Amino acid sequence: MRQVEKSGIMMSNTPMEQGNSSEHRLDELFRAYRQACPDPEASVNFMPAIWAKIEAREGSTTWFRRVAKALVTVAVAASVILGLMVSPLVSSANHPSAFFNATFVDALQADQVAALEPLHIDRISGLEPH
Amino acid sequence: MLVEFELIQKAQQGDASAFSQIVLAYRRRILGTISRLIGRPEDVEDVSQEVFIRLYFSLGQLRTPEVFEPWLYRLTVNASYDYLRKGRRRMESRMADLSEQQVMMADAVAGSRAQNDEGEKRRVRDTVQELLSAVSEEDRILLTLKEVEGLSLKELEKIYHVNENALKVRLFRARQRVLKKMKEVTEPSPSSAKGNEAS
Repeated sequence: MRQVEKSGIMMSNTPMEQGNSSEHRLDELFRAYRQACPDPEASVNFMPAIWAKIEAREGSTTWFRRVAKALVTVAVAASVILGLMVSPLVSSANHPSAFFNATFVDALQADQVAALEPLHIDRISGLEPH
Repeated sequence: MLVEFELIQKAQQGDASAFSQIVLAYRRRILGTISRLIGRPEDVEDVSQEVFIRLYFSLGQLRTPEVFEPWLYRLTVNASYDYLRKGRRRMESRMADLSEQQVMMADAVAGSRAQNDEGEKRRVRDTVQELLSAVSEEDRILLTLKEVEGLSLKELEKIYHVNENALKVRLFRARQRVLKKMKEVTEPSPSSAKGNEAS
């Protein structure tokens, strides 16, 4: 039911026809766009420019790699030094004194032994009233 | 495939001449695709070079030469997307509604036969660019690959690593947005029509 012509496009009355006509127009437009944009020719400088850009990026990549390597080396060295500094403390912590190894029973026993020390007679006699 | 698998393998091993041959084989196709994806002739060569540079640095990651072409398309899509995203502001400044003349040209192109005059080609390009500005950069690229480049859904599936149904849905929605934009520019809004009647 194409009835109205406007700007070279046939317009339709029903929504379905209008939808189909829009779809068709869009397809035509995309086809025209494909023809309006043919594959362009590359310039003479195309390949040399690619290699120049690749070399430039490789240069910056190697610089970053060097800096990264230097940072890693410094970090490893610092870790080793810190490790050496901390290791005596850690080793002493791993070998605690007998005090820390003693059990509760041992501690009680030691306390009672101190309480049951033999009496010093001379001191007691010194305290007696004359 | 425009090149032999052996050539790709040689390039992967660092053979510069093999890489140059790959570039020579594909450069025209890539230039064409990018020119239609980004729609700015002055930047086509730069973006194409970026694609081949990315190819050079990532060629070692390609496991099987059989997927070389979808993979190259993927690099092309990514480079074009990056370019479009960077130039979003610039594109937005060009997003004014189509002029009356452009609308008439769009109608003329779609309805009658496109003539091979350069001015008309330019207007067709501008019109399609304006219509594609109605969708996101991702959808614009997807729609162009399907509708203009003529890639099949299977090929798009390999490029995007997304299943066919998801692509169909996305393409349908993008197309609907473009159609809506086309309707807006070809049919004047009621307010402007009233204004015209009053004057």
